[in-house]
Amino acid sequence: MNTTFTLNGQPLSLDVPADLTLLSLLRDRLRLTGTKEGCAIGECGACSVMVDGLLVNACLTLAAQIDGCEVLTIEGICGPDGLPNDLQRAFIEHGASQCGFCTPGMIMAAEALISRNPSPKRREILSALSGNLCRCTGYHQIVEAIEDTARRRRKGGRPAHLPRDGEGGQPTTERRYIGKEAFWVDGVEKVTGRAMFIGDYHLPGLLHAKVLRSPVPHARIVRLEVSAALEVPGVVAAITAEDFVDHGNFGWPVKDSYVLAHEKVRYVGDPVAVLAGESVEAVQAGIQAIDLALEELPGVFDPAGALRDGAPLVPLASPSGEGNLVEKIIVRNGEPGPILGGCPVVLDETYHLPHQEHAYIETEGALAIPEQDGGLTVYANSQSPFINRDNLVAVLGLPPEKVRVVQPFVGGSFGGKDDIGYQNSAQTAALALKTGRPVHLLLTREESIIASYKRESMRIRFLLGADEDGDLKAAKVEALADSGAYPSNTPLAVWRGSMHLAGAYRYEAVSVDTEVVYTNNGYCGAFRGFGNTDAIAAIEQAIDELAHRVGRDPIDFRLQNCLRQGDRAMSGNTLHQEVGLSDCLRWVRERSDWDRKRSEYARQPEEQERRRGVGVACYFHGVGLGGEGEIPVTTTLEVGDDYSVRLTSGLTDYGQGSRTVFTIIAAETLGVRPERIHVLRPDTRTAVDSGPTVASRSSIMGGNATRVAASCVDRTLRWAAADLLGCDPAQLLRVGEGYVGPAEEPASFEAVVDHAREMGLVLSAHGRWEITGIDWDFETGKGTPYPAYTFGAQVAEIEVDRRTGERKVIGIWAAHDGGRILFPQGARGQMLGGIAQGLGYGMLEEMTFQEGYPQHVNYDGYLIPTAVDMPQVEGVFIEADFPGGPYGAKNLAEPVLLATAPAVANAFFHATGIRLRELPLTLERCLLGHALHPPGAADACRGALGHPVRPPT
Amino acid sequence: MEKFTYTRPHSLAEAVDLLSEPGVRNQILAGGTDLLVQIRQSPPTFDRLVDVNRIPELKLIEGDGRVTVGAGVTIAEILHNPILRERAPLLVEACGHIGSVQIRNVASIGGNVANAAPCADTLPPLVCLEAEALLVSAHGERRLPVWDLVTGPHQTSLRPGELIRSFTFAAQPLSSRSAFLRIGRRQAMAISRLAVAAIGKRDSSGMVTEIRLATGSAFSKFRRETEVEAMLLGQAAEEALIVAAGQEMTRLFEAESGKRWSAPYKRLALAALTERALRQVLGGER
Repeated sequence: MNTTFTLNGQPLSLDVPADLTLLSLLRDRLRLTGTKEGCAIGECGACSVMVDGLLVNACLTLAAQIDGCEVLTIEGICGPDGLPNDLQRAFIEHGASQCGFCTPGMIMAAEALISRNPSPKRREILSALSGNLCRCTGYHQIVEAIEDTARRRRKGGRPAHLPRDGEGGQPTTERRYIGKEAFWVDGVEKVTGRAMFIGDYHLPGLLHAKVLRSPVPHARIVRLEVSAALEVPGVVAAITAEDFVDHGNFGWPVKDSYVLAHEKVRYVGDPVAVLAGESVEAVQAGIQAIDLALEELPGVFDPAGALRDGAPLVPLASPSGEGNLVEKIIVRNGEPGPILGGCPVVLDETYHLPHQEHAYIETEGALAIPEQDGGLTVYANSQSPFINRDNLVAVLGLPPEKVRVVQPFVGGSFGGKDDIGYQNSAQTAALALKTGRPVHLLLTREESIIASYKRESMRIRFLLGADEDGDLKAAKVEALADSGAYPSNTPLAVWRGSMHLAGAYRYEAVSVDTEVVYTNNGYCGAFRGFGNTDAIAAIEQAIDELAHRVGRDPIDFRLQNCLRQGDRAMSGNTLHQEVGLSDCLRWVRERSDWDRKRSEYARQPEEQERRRGVGVACYFHGVGLGGEGEIPVTTTLEVGDDYSVRLTSGLTDYGQGSRTVFTIIAAETLGVRPERIHVLRPDTRTAVDSGPTVASRSSIMGGNATRVAASCVDRTLRWAAADLLGCDPAQLLRVGEGYVGPAEEPASFEAVVDHAREMGLVLSAHGRWEITGIDWDFETGKGTPYPAYTFGAQVAEIEVDRRTGERKVIGIWAAHDGGRILFPQGARGQMLGGIAQGLGYGMLEEMTFQEGYPQHVNYDGYLIPTAVDMPQVEGVFIEADFPGGPYGAKNLAEPVLLATAPAVANAFFHATGIRLRELPLTLERCLLGHALHPPGAADACRGALGHPVRPPT
Repeated sequence: MEKFTYTRPHSLAEAVDLLSEPGVRNQILAGGTDLLVQIRQSPPTFDRLVDVNRIPELKLIEGDGRVTVGAGVTIAEILHNPILRERAPLLVEACGHIGSVQIRNVASIGGNVANAAPCADTLPPLVCLEAEALLVSAHGERRLPVWDLVTGPHQTSLRPGELIRSFTFAAQPLSSRSAFLRIGRRQAMAISRLAVAAIGKRDSSGMVTEIRLATGSAFSKFRRETEVEAMLLGQAAEEALIVAAGQEMTRLFEAESGKRWSAPYKRLALAALTERALRQVLGGER
């Protein structure tokens, strides 16, 4: 049928099918890809557009419905020159856009608000954003950008441009860019909707891929026959595990993952076969025609039963030789047993931590393009392009030089786009080789939630002993981690967790015994915090309980026992660096008005229905990858013919801002404006393998490598400048970007570059950084797991309704010792976003499985915090110096989320006197003290997998 | 191959004609916020969408004597309508809890009722307001109280070819007070886990002279909770009575829904919400 409408001021008349959504019309037909698909059910707002001035979800609007209407998309918001408007600019300035995927929808929602309400109050802004989910920012900087824009518009003023330091002026030895406000690299692309994410690519001759996934948690593949699917019109090719070398076996540290299920399916959503075809509809029809016969097997759903005799074996062969055991992790620091026996107070409690879904607003996808040399270029929103390339080389049997992996913009990752990204890449790559055509795969939200890995769930038992004076003496910890059907990164994550399980405290002796087991509950892998999220959530509740039992204030107790410089950490290694933990605890105590609130809330009458409480948690977090296997990082820097500086890093930026951090470090070190520096997209052709971008290692590792590379080039340029100005390099001063010698005749950066070239100097460098000082013995459970740690503390204030279980976190005070802060808006965004994810972990998020069936498949069931859920946050960075980091920086991204959930749980105890020992604080837990479980159903995933799901037997 | 066709009538008469066409399985498209999700989740069971969004008769809001709200009025329009803000503050308050800006801009009151979800936030207020739905079809018009229109979870007594034209109710008396309390899993964009709506009045001596109570997500049917109302009507609105009314609501809930998995939670929370709603509408201080 015909629909005639105006799109961003342009009249259009099109024939559209009745079932075409406006979102699909914009993205697939008109290729206006600024409008994003996040959920397709109206929950996330990434597809927000305006129709006749009203904000709507394009996914819930039919193209036929816009006949006669005016449609405005992000592409129509920019100024006539395509530059960002004032609101978009404010988003960049305030750091309101991290990964940038939700940003276009968020900006549309903000424009809709300001156009109706030029003076929105904060409460109104939060409410206006409640239909737009952001997983990165924690919303505060978005709200500030909107407030700022509304204020400027009311005054009719032009947007203020960021003050630029280091332009002209007096000679300076001060830092010019480190720790100063900076303009987010890639910001313009993100706020204008021009940033190309994996779902935004389109090529002539493109084939679409669709995955057949297991409808049951555990079964033997009896027959898998794709020939009927190939008969379906439009289906071009099919692949199964047989199309890969060694059945597509991959994985690290345990090689027990498959590109497609081999012999067995082990979880609901396990990929079995993939089709490529001319259209999404064709491959969907083809999926129905695949002949898959499964012989269902009994499953393992309770991790505690995974190691019992007679438990069904989940892997094809046990990697540990002990059934469903993936691995055992131990820490042996003295003998806690006898010490505990002598302690007057011993806490013996067990805590449960839930599975958590990453819920990045961009789902996973890949695009494989066959090249003329028989090789491939693969675009994928995976975590690490080099691991991806190495996997592709292995499973496809291609020489390394024929596989190139490029990372486009990535719409959030948080650790979640590792293995599944490599599967997607290998699947599309095999189909591209088979068909000789480019193949594109993009998961739906339902597929993403069902098929992708989660944060491991854990059950942790503590025996903690203290003496009469409240001194912690010993800890004995036993933990069980559910890795699900495949190990993925869970062994590494849980190793990290185990290195932190007794918390940031001094003990005379500590032992940790952790078992990681297989089950058929989905599968688990890396997620921000990497095992330490669960560890800190548990130990900080336990420490709080112990403090209560010895009758001490929770902060006093922590201050008395927390790690200080020169102490030995729980793993027995000595802390030589500055430790800012006590400062963090004192700061949150003061800023949260802790002492007054603790005593005031303790006096709330028994019958008071709405009760308040404050709780604290503190943490430590090992720097870099540590004993999990640290890998050197390389940055390449080159001065181009146009005097720009090209920077290439093997580490990736999926929204956390590492490209901006590298730019700032390079600018500072080279003494040039950040605008001169261009960070290339990660590409295995141009970058040097630097290991994965995980474990909050970018700023330290990549930052140091960048500093090394920039220092090399700087030294070369100084020689050239000295030669040009006829002085000694030590006599040089910098004015702006220029060089000044004793004669005070300045030479511009360009002139010095030219002179360097005339001298035959090479203006490029590889900077390499490696962390040393890690020495962990996995067999004995002793050593130094990390070269250094970051520290921090948070206080949460909660209001609980004792009669309905309703609860709201109303304030968070956060102090993080992250070393020197390089990029303030980015650092603040990491803190706020981490708090938002920690808040979700503590309050809302629980990926439940019943008999292996996931119980949530989209954002309507799996709830993450909205703007309205975010409390007031006051944060600070305690900048304890760290000589091992670039300009003294430590890591940020992961540790900032660790304290939120346990602080909230401890605040709940303060408010109610109830210890839940389970997260999250759902309505039911808060009212009844325990969870209620809806009857298990396969219904949740019915339809979402695109084919019938049989009920559990 | 399209899964269905689309048509957009511009008048009520045209819509009624389309809906009465024999041999076509029609599906009315209002705001689409539930329907488009359903279409995504399972294959459509209809041949044709009839988009009723541009029918002027469905967009009316009238306030003379009785209040009439067209079925096509959106949640956002209800929130901003001066007539409804004055005469049906209970409905307006409930609408403020629905979805997001994007959802409220398109979702309609008629769609919310016709979808008949147990958590539909417009239904408890409409029941309290004793709203009557005006249904039209090729066979003429009929009027039904909303509690007879919505017969169960996602079930209505709408006949084939029938369309909700409007809802009519008496304005909330200025001397009465109303309350809408609901619980969601998060602070926004969360469906009601439980809701209580109430309209009430007490005279100068503290006697309850009017009380209307309805709940959401508690019982299998939307209805006035007449047994609880009967406890209160004509009695002194004292704290003990209000607590007893909450307990009575829970007793009714347990008798009817006590075996549901959520019952241990809802039985407690329902008593609390009922008490609080009653305190708001019957309590001493305003």
